[in-house]
Amino acid sequence: MDFHVAFPALVAGRLLLAFTSLPEVLNNDHQLSSPLTSYSRLQEGVYLFQQGFDPYSGGPFRHSPLLLSVFSTVFPLTRFTSPILWTICDAVAAWALVQIWRARQNVASSPRDVLIAASYLLNPYIFLPSLAFSTSSLENALCLSALMCASQGRTSAALMAFALLVHLSLPSLVLMFPLLLLLLSSPVSHLVSPRPLSANLRQLYPLSAEFAGYFVALFAMATLVCGNTSWVEKTWGASLLLPDLTPNPGLWWYFFTEMFDHFRPFFLMVFSVHLLIYVAPVCIKYQHDILYATYLLAGVLATFKAYPTLSDPGLFLSMTALFPETYSYLRHPIVTTLLHLHASLLLPLFHSLWLTQGTGNANFFYASTLVFGMANGAALLDAMWAGLRAAVGELKGGYEVVQE
Amino acid sequence: MTQNGGGFAHTNNWAVLVCASRYWFNYRHMANALGMYRTVKRLGIPDSNIILMLADDAACNSRNKYPGCVFSNKGRHLDLYGDNIEVDYRGYEVTVENFLRVLTGRMDPSVPRSKRLLTDDRSNIFVYMTGHGGNEFLKFQDNEEISAFDIADAFEQMWQKKRYNEIFFMIDTCQATTMYSKFYSPNVLATGSSQIRENSYSHENDNDIGVAVIDSYTHYVLEFMEGINKTSQTTMQDLFDSYDVDKIHSHPGVRTDLFNRDIRHALVTDFFGGVAQAEVLPHTPLEFTMSTNDASEKPHIVPSVDAFPFFEGNTTEPQNAEYGSHDTSLAHPFALQFIADVTSGKSQSNITYRTARAWVSVILLLSLVGWVGSRGR
Repeated sequence: MDFHVAFPALVAGRLLLAFTSLPEVLNNDHQLSSPLTSYSRLQEGVYLFQQGFDPYSGGPFRHSPLLLSVFSTVFPLTRFTSPILWTICDAVAAWALVQIWRARQNVASSPRDVLIAASYLLNPYIFLPSLAFSTSSLENALCLSALMCASQGRTSAALMAFALLVHLSLPSLVLMFPLLLLLLSSPVSHLVSPRPLSANLRQLYPLSAEFAGYFVALFAMATLVCGNTSWVEKTWGASLLLPDLTPNPGLWWYFFTEMFDHFRPFFLMVFSVHLLIYVAPVCIKYQHDILYATYLLAGVLATFKAYPTLSDPGLFLSMTALFPETYSYLRHPIVTTLLHLHASLLLPLFHSLWLTQGTGNANFFYASTLVFGMANGAALLDAMWAGLRAAVGELKGGYEVVQE
Repeated sequence: MTQNGGGFAHTNNWAVLVCASRYWFNYRHMANALGMYRTVKRLGIPDSNIILMLADDAACNSRNKYPGCVFSNKGRHLDLYGDNIEVDYRGYEVTVENFLRVLTGRMDPSVPRSKRLLTDDRSNIFVYMTGHGGNEFLKFQDNEEISAFDIADAFEQMWQKKRYNEIFFMIDTCQATTMYSKFYSPNVLATGSSQIRENSYSHENDNDIGVAVIDSYTHYVLEFMEGINKTSQTTMQDLFDSYDVDKIHSHPGVRTDLFNRDIRHALVTDFFGGVAQAEVLPHTPLEFTMSTNDASEKPHIVPSVDAFPFFEGNTTEPQNAEYGSHDTSLAHPFALQFIADVTSGKSQSNITYRTARAWVSVILLLSLVGWVGSRGR
């Protein structure tokens, strides 16, 4: 099917869905939006801002001040504009994914483009949060745009998009190092022919400085909107200090509900550092194909982030479409698929059993988040294995790969 | 106006339901108390606000052919025990001392919250007692008795310690009206099932349970209450008018001299129900700049404020003339400050300043993005 027909068709389908009453139903679902990304909280914050109150002085609003400023001035959030905006975000993200693929294959267009776009737009983990108007869809769009610009060699655009992404969601900082390396190398697939990184690492410094410059500029704009820096603790501080224990499909919230205050700072530090420890090893091991390293770190974020929604593993799973050379080396794709299927059925079921019907308790939902974590972990581990195994290739009889 | 107001001054409802007699043949007393329990629960008083004292366990009595169930009519149509029941004082815990301690609040610190009457000066309390009684006494547990003076003094202690706004005292025993003859505290409305030297009678027996299952007076009161729901505007006068001496076989009495309000304006749900009353802020001209954008399908702080208060008495009420003077007690100080801030000029300029800042920030952001995009490399 022709890409130029299929892509608009998919986007139009999404737009139609967004204009139904489905968004109201999904709006407050805990799997689709977290306290950092919820649409109703965004509306509340914008309303308070427009009435002259500081939205960060109360409880619920944890979005970035940039979103506050945009949605209270140029782009009002109404029943008509929100579906359009979120559909545009998804369209941009799918387009960026296709462009990354094209850059990776070094072609102007390929027959697989439709599949790539469909793997993003038809992924339930992606379109359900988008229908719930969760701002995690915006974050996905920014992440994929940054990767697209990096794959196409447009440094400033990539760094700007990434600065915006980190501004909206601090844990995405984990992707900074591989993104910078991607800017210095190329996205073209080298999984099957690994060689050491040939980039000049000295060039990292000016790139980091440029990123820092954009970041500081955005920080200044955000402080301008608020008038003070109280927003930092509320937005970025939420990922580090975990003040809001609303249930979400992640692994942090239950752990911290049952924790004694005495141990809280220690475990907050452990969980945050845990995210960082993956960066260096993954980048070193996959230095021959940095895009794959970015993909894996997106998977790490999906599994271990503080306030994930379904969009984060959705991004990881949709990006799998970029690496078909690894498919034959996946060891347990069916197990992973079934785990995901299992988790995606269990999560809403146990959530409803706990909070709607009241016949279950929090442990039910926690168990389903553990299954979900297992599903994400299985996918991540399999992707890590396949990425390295691809380099070994076909085996002659009698040989076995033990460790790459 | 008295220290407690009256009229719309109660904010919460409590019930103390006491069945003071034990043994299987006093099944009807347990059923009386349980019938009242079900009624006040149905009308909205939560278990946390009900002290239910049952001197014996009829439901799990070895003589009960229907274990776990207590019925109050012949034919056993409605189980009053069943699921979702909280008995606070059971069996031998129902003593005169415990009853008086519950009323006065003078308890050992180790007594749990569920056994305490945690009322304040805006609580309306419904006190219901049933058992075997006589001239100015009520028998507890077959071995002790409480006198009318004891209850009267307990109510006075409660008044002195501001533990109630109004009390409705209902008693179903023989010579019941003598029990409230000694009250002397204000804001107490009392009613009893029979006069001095008169017995109260049971209503009917059930052939399978084998004993009388309900008393006449309580039966007809409960039957009257069947027609009441949470929004009912039925008054206490209607309740007292419904007393039918021929059916009850005794002369019920009512004592209203200590009650400050007119019982034609006191609602039944003021005592039997847990109806929450919204206090509406007085009329203030609020101008809300409804912004052009719809981000407010959200909590618009509704100023539908020249609303009528939802309580009885917006028709007559000399008391409500003081409505204006209740402003400060009605409106929470924070709410007033909020309204003052919004309507004052300083917040208008605040809003424009904020919008200006937001616009500047957005323009900067868009120009930065545009510049970066146009750089190409």
